[in-house]
Formats: sequence, structure tokens, C-alpha cells
Amino acid sequence: METVKEKKLIVTKIKEGTVIDRIPPGKAMKVLHVLGINENYPYTVALAMRVKSKKMQLKDIVKIKGKMLTPEESQKLSLIAPNAVVNIINDYKVEKKIVLEIPEQVSEIIRCLNPNCVTNNREPVSPIFSVVSKEPLILRCKYCDRLLEGQNLSEQL
Amino acid sequence: MKSTKFIFTTLNLSKEFLESIFTLASKIEQNLENYSDKCKGKILATLFFEPSTRTMLSFESAMLRLGGSILGFSSAKTSSLAKGETIADTLRMINGYADIAVIRHFLEGVGEIAKKYSSIPVISGGTGTQAHPTQAMLDLYTIKNAFGTIDGLKVALMGDLKYGRTIPSLLYGLAKYENVTVYLVSPKELKIRNHVRQRLKDFNLKFYEIDDVSQIIDELDVLYVTRIQKERFPDQLDYERLKSSYKISPSTLKDTKKSFILLHPLPRVDEITPEVDDLGCAKYFEQAKNGVYVRMAIILKLLGVE
Ligand SMILES: [Zn+2]
Repeated sequence: METVKEKKLIVTKIKEGTVIDRIPPGKAMKVLHVLGINENYPYTVALAMRVKSKKMQLKDIVKIKGKMLTPEESQKLSLIAPNAVVNIINDYKVEKKIVLEIPEQVSEIIRCLNPNCVTNNREPVSPIFSVVSKEPLILRCKYCDRLLEGQNLSEQL
Repeated sequence: MKSTKFIFTTLNLSKEFLESIFTLASKIEQNLENYSDKCKGKILATLFFEPSTRTMLSFESAMLRLGGSILGFSSAKTSSLAKGETIADTLRMINGYADIAVIRHFLEGVGEIAKKYSSIPVISGGTGTQAHPTQAMLDLYTIKNAFGTIDGLKVALMGDLKYGRTIPSLLYGLAKYENVTVYLVSPKELKIRNHVRQRLKDFNLKFYEIDDVSQIIDELDVLYVTRIQKERFPDQLDYERLKSSYKISPSTLKDTKKSFILLHPLPRVDEITPEVDDLGCAKYFEQAKNGVYVRMAIILKLLGVE
């Protein structure tokens, strides 16, 4: 009975909002965190972790009623859940399907860890990183040239 | 080709650009008089947020030898930075006072600010631990003068490869040449940083990281020595132990090739003993002199007066 309930929760349709599918297993909580969805979010949120998937064995899924992603959120999401699929739902139908992709350049959302980097010193410039490697994810600061990777990077996502 | 207006790194300088600077520097060296009024009426601003006597004097000498004038400051205490002015504002202000500027700053990434906020050409006179492109260019010029080419040489960089701001600039410059082999000789605490190593891999430069120069000294064409500073070691015993193994004396150099040269960006403390100065391979004072010619060439190139 338990499994039937779970399945039903996952397939429950939302009228408008966003369904993020094919999230790497275990990352769904992180996805919600990045999107700023917490206990105070006023609408329906469904989260499923480690669901069987045809394409990737196991996956996570989140459904968020009444939520549209901003470009910054999509960018950040692509870094923690590359290749996830974002379905924009309107009137119970999938209006648009976007496969997330790690961009060539990441801006604004991440800070350089080098304390001597101009981006950390009240100069009128904001952080920009180029993507050196997607797997594992390694970024390079456009300003000071330092690399951002591993835990230093994941802590910021 | 878009003309170069900012020099903050050697990463994006092509071999052709480097060679054009060296050709011009060589012409200047041979006929200094011919260039004595090329920059008449032009002003070089020297913005030294961190003091550096040698680099500043070298730039000033270069501009004065070109017939230009200089203005500027040294150390942040004398500038309005102490009062909280941004680099961006300083550059915008100086745009009205000078035709070209050189800036030394402890912050890294200043080049991007110059690109965004300066309408006049700007050169790095040393940027944090990130870069010292003109030092690297004068080093390359000295190497080229000694061998006629940089292609195919075996070059060792020894000492503090982590904090030495010239090291990345020199490596990225060397990477533009064909078939160069680089040995990076340092204690493990002072190895090149990961972001520099990654760049070298991307450039496909052949490099080896070792901790003892005696293993390869007989193969080398160039040994570039930098100072190991006491402050870099939490444990002073480590420093004392390492200091002696990274010291060059005539006996270190007894097996070198005939054409071998020894370089050092100066000032040196005791990493090269004074007895080495008399050996034919010691080229560090020539290096310093070359700095003026190379910087004259850079100023001319950036101002578009050749
Ligand atoms: Zn940075």
C-alpha cells in the first residue's frame, strides 16, 4: 500500500508551477534549498527521492506549485543538477520543457574564495567564472584566475 | 588585429606580440638616442599601491629615456586609497592626467577593472601573487638574447613558485614557444598553485615538478632563481633547513653546460652567493638593464608610437 501512495503523490498534477525531473539521486533537498523553498512556502510542494527511472536507474523529482524559475535559479540549478529536466506547467499541461545544461560561464551566483580577489574588495565588479570542467565541476575566476572546485564550490550551491 | 591596450597577464599575449616587443627592445638597445623624443609631451602615471623601488624606477627610466614625463605615487598610504577610494575611481581620475599608466596592486584581477574603467593603456607593474608580465617579458628577452631563440630550451624555475608573482607570467610566456621543457624546483610547501598547473596542462607545456636542482643541472640552458621568504614558513626550522638546499654557489654550477645562464629577478638576499656574480653565466644585472629597453618597447607599442 505504501508504494501505491508514493506513486500517487509523485504523479499528482499541479495546475501551474514547475516540475523538475531527472535530478541526480539524493539532490532534491538541495534543489529546493537553492530555489529558496522552505517550510514557509505557501503552496504544494512534492518531493520524491530515489525513484526508479528508465533513463538513469534512480532519480529525484520535485514539483512546486506556483513557482517559476528565474534565470539565476536555473543557472544555479544546472550546477547541482546538470541534465535535470525543468517542466513549466500551465493549466495542468507542460508548457515548456528545458533540459538544464551547465553554462560556459557562471555569473553573480557564486563568490570567489580568494580574499585578495578584486571581486571581494568593494570594486564595482561582480564575480564571473568560466567552467573549466563539468565533471567534476571546476570553475575559474575570470578576475584572479583561481579555481573553485570540490567542497569549496558545493558549499556555495 | 585589435591593438593591445592592457598588459596584465602573459596568458593572452601571442608569440608574435612577444617577438615584436623583443625586436623593438633590441632596436632601442642598439640605438637609444633615436628614441629620446618619441614620447615627448606624453605622461606616464605610476600608480604603486604597493611599494616597489626597482619596478617603479625601471618604468620611470623607460619613460624618461623616451622623452616623456612621469607622475604618480608609491604605497597606498600616500594615496587616497587609504581614504577608501576604489581602483576603478583612481583609474578614471588618472585618465584625465596621463596618457598611459602602470599600476602595482596587491589585489588580484586589477586588469579586468582597468579594461572596464580605463580609456588609456594600462600596464601591470605586479598584481598580487597573480602576475608580473613585464618582468616575465624582460626575462624572456634576456633568454632570447643569450640563445637567439627560446624554442627548444630547457628552463628550470627554482625557489618560491607559489607566491612569486613572476612565476605564472614567465611560465605562460614560455608556453608560447615550441618544445620548451620546464623544471619546477621547489620545496613541497612552495609548489606552483593548482590554477597555474591547470593552465600549463591546457597549454601542453612539458613540465616536471622536482625538489632538487642537482638532478638536472647538467641539462639546463637556463636556471631562474627566486627568493624563498622566511614569512612563508610557519616553522622557522623548515625555513633554515630549506634555505641552504635552495642556495646557488659556484659548486652548485660546476656541471652546467657551456652556454648555461643564471637569472634572478632581484633583489636577491642570499639565494645566490656573491662569488657566482663573477661567473660568465650570471646574467641578473643584465636582466635589470634589459628591463628598461623592454618597458620602453611596451610603452611605445601601447601608445602606438613606433
Ligand atoms: Zn577571484
